[in-house]
Amino acid sequence: MTPPLNGRARRSLPALAGVIALAVTGCARTSTGPAGTAAADTGKVTVACGATEEWCAAMAEGFATATGVKAEFVRLSSGEALTRIQAGRANAEFDVWHGGPADGYAAASDQGLLEDYVSPNAAAIPDRYKDRTGAWTGVYVGVLGFCNNTKVLGEKGVTAPGSWQGLLNPALKQNVGIAHPSTSGTAYTALWTQVLLNGGDKDGALAYMRKLHPNVLQYSKSGAAPAQQVARGEIGVGVVFSHDCVATREQGFTDLEVTFPAEGTGYEVGGVALVKGAHNPVSAKKYIDWALTAAAQEIGPSVKSYQAPTNPGAKKSDKTVDLTTLKLVEYDSVAAGAVKSVLTRRFDTEVAQAPKD
Amino acid sequence: MTATRVTTDSESAGRLHLDRLTKTFESRGTAPVVAVDAVTLDVAPGEFITLLGPSGCGKTTTLRIVAGLEEATGGHVRLDGDVIDALPAQRRPMAMVFQSYALFPHLTVSENIAYGLRTQRRGKDETEAAIKIALTSMNLLGLENRSPHELSGGQQQRVALARALVVQPKVLLFDEPLSNLDAKLRGAMRAEIRRIQRRLGITSLYVTHDQDEAMTMSDRVVVMNKGRIEQAAAPADIYFRPATVFVADFIGRANFIEVVPERMDADGTVISALGREMTVAAHPDVRANGAAYLMVRPETLSLAAAPEGGVGSVLRSTFHGHSVDYEVETNAGTLAVTVPGPEPRRLLAEGTNVTVTIDPGRAYVLNKD
Amino acid sequence: MTTLTHSSDPPPLTGAAGPPGPPGPGRRPRRRRRELSVLLAIAACVVLVTIGTVFPIGAVLASAFSAEAMPRYAEFFTSAVDLRILWNTLVLGLLVGLAGTAIGFLFAFVQTRLDVPGKRVLHLIALVPVISPPFAVATATIVLFGRRGLITHDLLGLEYDIYGLDGLVFVLALSLFPVAYLGLLGMMRGLDPAMEEAAMTLGASRWRIFRTVMLPLLAPGLAAPFLLLFVEAIADLANPLVVGGDYTVLASRAYLAITGEYDTTSASVYSLILLVPSIGVFLAQRYWLSRKVRTTITGKPSGSVHLITGWVRWPVYGLAVLVALVIVALYGTVIAGGVTRVFGVDYTLTFAHLHEVLLGVGREAIADTATLAIVATPIASVFGLVIAWLAVRHLPRAGGWLDFAGTLGVAVPGTVLGIGYLLAYRPDRYAGDFLVLPGLVGGSAVAGGSIAIVLAYIVRSVPAGLRTGTAALSQLHPSLEEASTDLGAGPMRTFRKVTLPLIRPALLTGLSYSFARCMTSISTIILLVTPGTRIITSQILSAASTGRYGVAFAYCTVLTAIVLAGFGVIRLLVGRNATLHRVAGSTERHKR
Repeated sequence: MTPPLNGRARRSLPALAGVIALAVTGCARTSTGPAGTAAADTGKVTVACGATEEWCAAMAEGFATATGVKAEFVRLSSGEALTRIQAGRANAEFDVWHGGPADGYAAASDQGLLEDYVSPNAAAIPDRYKDRTGAWTGVYVGVLGFCNNTKVLGEKGVTAPGSWQGLLNPALKQNVGIAHPSTSGTAYTALWTQVLLNGGDKDGALAYMRKLHPNVLQYSKSGAAPAQQVARGEIGVGVVFSHDCVATREQGFTDLEVTFPAEGTGYEVGGVALVKGAHNPVSAKKYIDWALTAAAQEIGPSVKSYQAPTNPGAKKSDKTVDLTTLKLVEYDSVAAGAVKSVLTRRFDTEVAQAPKD
Repeated sequence: MTATRVTTDSESAGRLHLDRLTKTFESRGTAPVVAVDAVTLDVAPGEFITLLGPSGCGKTTTLRIVAGLEEATGGHVRLDGDVIDALPAQRRPMAMVFQSYALFPHLTVSENIAYGLRTQRRGKDETEAAIKIALTSMNLLGLENRSPHELSGGQQQRVALARALVVQPKVLLFDEPLSNLDAKLRGAMRAEIRRIQRRLGITSLYVTHDQDEAMTMSDRVVVMNKGRIEQAAAPADIYFRPATVFVADFIGRANFIEVVPERMDADGTVISALGREMTVAAHPDVRANGAAYLMVRPETLSLAAAPEGGVGSVLRSTFHGHSVDYEVETNAGTLAVTVPGPEPRRLLAEGTNVTVTIDPGRAYVLNKD
Repeated sequence: MTTLTHSSDPPPLTGAAGPPGPPGPGRRPRRRRRELSVLLAIAACVVLVTIGTVFPIGAVLASAFSAEAMPRYAEFFTSAVDLRILWNTLVLGLLVGLAGTAIGFLFAFVQTRLDVPGKRVLHLIALVPVISPPFAVATATIVLFGRRGLITHDLLGLEYDIYGLDGLVFVLALSLFPVAYLGLLGMMRGLDPAMEEAAMTLGASRWRIFRTVMLPLLAPGLAAPFLLLFVEAIADLANPLVVGGDYTVLASRAYLAITGEYDTTSASVYSLILLVPSIGVFLAQRYWLSRKVRTTITGKPSGSVHLITGWVRWPVYGLAVLVALVIVALYGTVIAGGVTRVFGVDYTLTFAHLHEVLLGVGREAIADTATLAIVATPIASVFGLVIAWLAVRHLPRAGGWLDFAGTLGVAVPGTVLGIGYLLAYRPDRYAGDFLVLPGLVGGSAVAGGSIAIVLAYIVRSVPAGLRTGTAALSQLHPSLEEASTDLGAGPMRTFRKVTLPLIRPALLTGLSYSFARCMTSISTIILLVTPGTRIITSQILSAASTGRYGVAFAYCTVLTAIVLAGFGVIRLLVGRNATLHRVAGSTERHKR
């Protein structure tokens, strides 16, 4: 028969497991991370990159060419980046966080994950695009717009909406795409824009969203998803950042057209920041300095990222929106972030759950 | 009245006729295999017939064709005169007891037995009465609600039998039903199956490779080899008057002594063997001056020490207690002799010269091929 | 630390662990060595499951039970929205379990019971979804069956909204059913045909046999794949992100709590709540499996299967063919999408996507992913088999726990495990001032963080080898191994020389599954990728989330090709004519 272990041996199994667990657990060293002295710098920078894969790669290459310092990156969404930086609190994995909306940076800064750094090049960046204390500095601006599929709208006999009110057109029933504000920064920007357009009245903003509700096919998870749905003709209009729409059009969906709401529109600022406890602080600062230069901000359009640069000196691509021609709301991401959980929860119960007829 | 309702009496027993039944297995790339070769057999109502043979002789295939589980490639199966070749297994008034019992493991003993009745949509009362009787007659009372896996092998076998009997089949088919039981239980079950079959008078076709089983249970034994019937006869005839060397050899042990039949007469044929002339019963095909064997069973030979002038000498002796087996070297070859109930003082040592006596009444002459 | 346990307690450990043999002074030292090899195997397995599964899950639990998380539970269970998500999750699991098992049953039934042509092709098509790169099927589904789908809209003129529960069930059932199919196929082939024949001779029609014999006999067997699919469905992340629409489930909610709200605490809470049904159902499944399906009572299976030849076979067959065609269409879309400019809009043939994947950015990812998977696959399979062997043969009671811990890797949603890795292995671990375990996660970690990825791969694929190994070993009569042990071979030697060759097919299946799982795994490793290690699935996610479907499809095509090539290589290495030895020999029975 099968040779069984005797009782003692069997009992010792859990003990064995315990010993191992203990050894593995040990204790996580929470003491000082490396102080980040110049001497510790390895002449290399590791970037948590929130932009597209190509943009990240192009930035790393551009940085190496411009400064001779090697840059490595991992493409991470904002939340993933934040989680990773959080986990690396004791022993930083990244030196720089680059790309992704400013509210993520604000959250990280609140948790003490970022090191304030005011780059000498930050002076050129308008104040509305950077943090006052230097926790983060804006490198690009994305503007909220309507992504229209002219072919689909033509079939419905509707012209591309040019205003938030136009979006309520009953002919667009089940033909508008927007993400869910609790899972998408894009959609939250849209929601907060409504708050601002209603003079700070949250009820008014939610009332608008409720009116829009019958037109919304679904609240997708990711902010860029409506652009894809519009491109494939599943819906007629998507509320997205205009650069997502332009990038999609560049992929071959020629029926796409961007319009902007006349009442005024919201925007997001993509940031760059120094991670607290970075192993390569010198190179990291070099990276940030470089990222704010006009030259660095001209890289985006070459890899189909059409966000507007924050550096007024950067040459604009014809596919990039001209910020000066648009009516922008006064977007304060700190104020927006403060009520986010309350507001999204209200959205969830008061808007998203409602029947669509 | 109940007893007759759920059981089958002789009148409803079927007459089964196999008419040149043939089954050929075709497989790509190889020559077709003839598993059953023109088997013709008539089974009388109430008769218990055993298909006996080594594995691969076609006996199981024959049974499965009768059941409708296999399609014949030639010939016909008739039941009470009607050709039933086209009838699917479901519609044949037969039931089968399987080697693996094939009890439904998810059903209790009663539910297993009731399966066929429920299929036939019998009334509830009738079904219950029938189950009750089946349980009683099969000695399964008290086990109604057990699961099959909670039963012993013998009990499972009895449930399988009850399940088959309760639907009142015209023909009962058995596919080596006892081969999974231990020797002692097998003996008991043989007797039980035979007892019930006799009582119900149900036509039965029974497949086995165990000659003992075949001999003890059957009205007639059909010995099969390579898809053909070698002989179909009562057990005693099969034993004492085997039609072929194969049958003689397959059933029990046999000595074959080459002989030349001198002439035929009413009692058989005159031959001489071991220096003696005698008249021995012979197979009808045996002709004078043909090549033939004298078949003698070891236990029908008698042996005596003959210090001078014996016909042979003891080559080897094996003592069993209840009997002694001798191998005796003679001019007719080495003969096996079994002496039942040996006397202690008459045991023959190896090398002893002996005479061997053949009892013509228990010997048989058959053709060499 | 393992040696510590050994040396502190040697006599009882070596006392009676070996198989009972004739006692003799000369055998003593050998027995001691024997037991040691088993113990080493046990120790290795315990270390693996502790490091790979138990500890990371513990880390998640610690976070989910932290003080700041407590109010979130109250919120969860009072919020209609959150409760709705929980409900959605359970409904999804239930429907996918039912649909996937039904499709698996359909295919197994066609395969084993119908007299129809093209069964071999049908079998191969049914196996294709075993390799399902994340996003591939979901995205192809939208392209084909969405509101503007090639089939639903352009062909049938419908405006069908695939987003939501229906789309999710469709995609998940199609992606997951092969597991159910393979399990049921084996079970239906193992069903004693005499059972059906007995019912036939008792006058039961085919339909009645199906209803009263086959289905009840297979019922326990249907429960196992159902529960397995339930667990996999509720743990799935990629598909709810793509076709979920408004339909939110816990797995996607937990992920989005991190990516959209920067709220790790909430993510931990969602994960924990997701863990409860996962582990609960998983335990239920183990309970079902432990109740062995009693297909045969005694004796060898006899009789032969009666294939259905009547007209009924055609509608059933038609249904299976329809499903097969859908699979072919979906994967065809993936391949076609990889070589057209914009599938659905601009069908110009282009190799730009493939070029990018094979020669551009993707080359590194392909090399890295393949390397890590090749490292992880054999380790995972061997551990799977060893755990199975220990559990089945050597540790009748404690083995169950080892087996449970080994299978936990798949019972726990990948995202949860990923978060666990991050929490557990990002920091360096010290005992006093002594560095016990350096951080495993992240680019600055040992070997560029690839150890954590390999570990995650191993833990996620061990269950595949474990399951097939357990199945194979339970069929293998212990007497074969006992014979070897009686001839003086130690347990490890017996395992290598006797057991392993006999269960080679299980090894083959285990290796293949492991490789496919490694290559297509996303949810666990998404949080573990580093600059030094790029992973194909993470590239797919990146491409898909930025709408570059051509590139995503090209990645999926290449990924599928690599997995298929891997299958070929594994087959060559393990041996193609590996057949399972059954011990219920009939020869034994004939000579009595």
